[in-house]
Amino acid sequence: MNKKIKASAAIVAALALSLGAFAANTASAATTVKIAYQGPLTGPEAQTGTDSIRGVKLAIKIYNATNPAVKVEIFEGDDQGDDAQGGTVGAGIAADDAVIGVLTAYSGPTIAALPSYKAKGIAIVSPSATRASLTDPTSKDYGNPVFHRIVSNDDLQGPALARVATNGVKDPTVFVVDDQSSYSVGLTKAVKLALGTAFQAGDSAAKGAVSDFSATIAKIKKEKANVVIYTGYYADGAKFLKQLRDKGYKGVYAAGDGVLNSQFPKLAGKKQSEGARLTAPTVPLEVASPKITAMFKKDFKADPGVYTTEAFDATNIFLQGIKAGKTTRADMLAYLNSASFSYKNTAGITIKFQESGDLSGSGLMNQFVVKGGTIKLNGKA
Amino acid sequence: MDFSVLTDQFASLTFDGIALGFIYVLIALGYTMVYGVLRLINFANSEVFMLGSFATILVATKLFNHTIESDPLTGFKLVYTMTAMLVGAMIVSGVASVVIEIVAYRRLRSRTSNRLTSLISAIGVSIVLAEAVRMATSSAPMGSPRLLDKTTLATVWGADIRVDTLLVIVFAIILLIVLDLFVNKSRLGMGIRAVSMDYDTSRLMGINLNKIISTTFLIGGLGTGAASFFYITVYEMTRFSIGFELGLAAFTAAVLGGIGNIRGAFAGGIALGLIEMYASAVLGTQWRSITAFVILILVLLFKPNGIFGESLQQARV
Repeated sequence: MNKKIKASAAIVAALALSLGAFAANTASAATTVKIAYQGPLTGPEAQTGTDSIRGVKLAIKIYNATNPAVKVEIFEGDDQGDDAQGGTVGAGIAADDAVIGVLTAYSGPTIAALPSYKAKGIAIVSPSATRASLTDPTSKDYGNPVFHRIVSNDDLQGPALARVATNGVKDPTVFVVDDQSSYSVGLTKAVKLALGTAFQAGDSAAKGAVSDFSATIAKIKKEKANVVIYTGYYADGAKFLKQLRDKGYKGVYAAGDGVLNSQFPKLAGKKQSEGARLTAPTVPLEVASPKITAMFKKDFKADPGVYTTEAFDATNIFLQGIKAGKTTRADMLAYLNSASFSYKNTAGITIKFQESGDLSGSGLMNQFVVKGGTIKLNGKA
Repeated sequence: MDFSVLTDQFASLTFDGIALGFIYVLIALGYTMVYGVLRLINFANSEVFMLGSFATILVATKLFNHTIESDPLTGFKLVYTMTAMLVGAMIVSGVASVVIEIVAYRRLRSRTSNRLTSLISAIGVSIVLAEAVRMATSSAPMGSPRLLDKTTLATVWGADIRVDTLLVIVFAIILLIVLDLFVNKSRLGMGIRAVSMDYDTSRLMGINLNKIISTTFLIGGLGTGAASFFYITVYEMTRFSIGFELGLAAFTAAVLGGIGNIRGAFAGGIALGLIEMYASAVLGTQWRSITAFVILILVLLFKPNGIFGESLQQARV
């Protein structure tokens, strides 16, 4: 076979496949609907996406096992956590008529995909997109009426982190280290604002690019800081904490939700991570439900991660709608936006949405503390 | 700018900078040895380092059944476990380096004299290895058990002299002396130097080029493997992207000192370690790489072959 014939054969095969898939879709549309997940499944942010989509898969598996009239399938949309890819992936999800609801992971790609979802009236329930502008009516990113989220936004975390970090510290002298990612820079800004005069100095160590934090630690020693706040992600946060403690720092170490990962105390070391304080709008699955955690571990041979619980809950919100007979896009959206909507989450808290898509009430922000090598929930922040 | 950190923490920063510098030196050997004989920048060396770092941890966790929460070892047990980790890392890195040479470069070298193809091949190998490990590890970092307790041996001018960083410095110096002797005194070392001086003439003189080149890749790989062991001993964590971070720094160190020159790699590595540490302290860690590269460009403006590139032509590998 020469190359041209091969190529055209491939095209024909691809066409046949896609037509086949299309036919299958229309045939089974009545009894099968799809819930889409849009998030980073490959690339540097893949860990977050992997942790979340497992929550989605588990929720769907549990639902399908009850043998319901309407079966649910997952649509995996990989945007690599990249704003530029968010638009394309969103359009792809919107083009699949079987999709009646979508979970979006990151704020940037969510904003990029919003036009597609708005045009087709597809409801979004985000487990982890925390950027404030998504639910701000004065912003061009305002996601109403399709956008909903079950996590608190960034406006809440900065002050909470500042409060938790300095809690019980006499004359706090705070040193803030960021990792130059947009999440970290935003959180740092909010933390500094909340700290006021307690803020002493700071440093920026680019994410994934620094092995040796000696210079940062030298500065912390020179400033005689007794509180160190890290606003980046867990891998670097663990590396930093380990070196900090090994160099004899005795003060408080606190960090935001980027560091909330079961691997964090392991990587930082049991001794070094003891007493580390964390804040996050999420609830670890281990804390929310040991029973679901056991199922999770059995299915995936891995520990749940950050936002696994929220992804599980967000999926269950759609599943609750499907059980109530909302099997079209319009019905699902109306269901989520109706005043009577409420959902009891895995941790047992009943949640409702505001008109903006944010959670009703003051929002949830938890604090955690590392004890004996594991992260323990320590109440509200 | 905050120079008070420099005066306040000078000894501490200097000691840490030198220890980091020695790790750069050992990785830089991988670049500089290969460049010396082939005039090829072996970009895949960064991934040789990455593989070595995983090998170090896997020897400890799979062969000796330590977990990340294992307690530090002492005495004879510590010595043989650490030796096994070092040897494991060196074997994996050395073999990887030779295999890369045979798979990615040898054929290209015999078919074409165009070095650009080899360069692209090097970058390709680098991407393949990094992405393969990324998939195998689901992008997650891998932590190492602390087998060598980080005891502070002495405090000099406010700087803690820790056993792990001291180990890096002492062993790196020994390795460098051995390598220098090997290249300058041994028969095989003479062959390497001959090929580096004149590729075609040495072939006419009956030197088995492929053997010499493979040996060079092996030595570079062994040095890089040792570097990955020391890196893990000090920093206790690796991930798929580590090669890019450390490899780029080591490559910079090699160019700074004069690429193709072992003593240049030594000077460049130490200089880079110190520059990075001082710049991070005075300007902020975000200025670390910028400062290092500005200094590199300035050095190259006045000495295009690096600090030692020209003056020690004969010492070139």
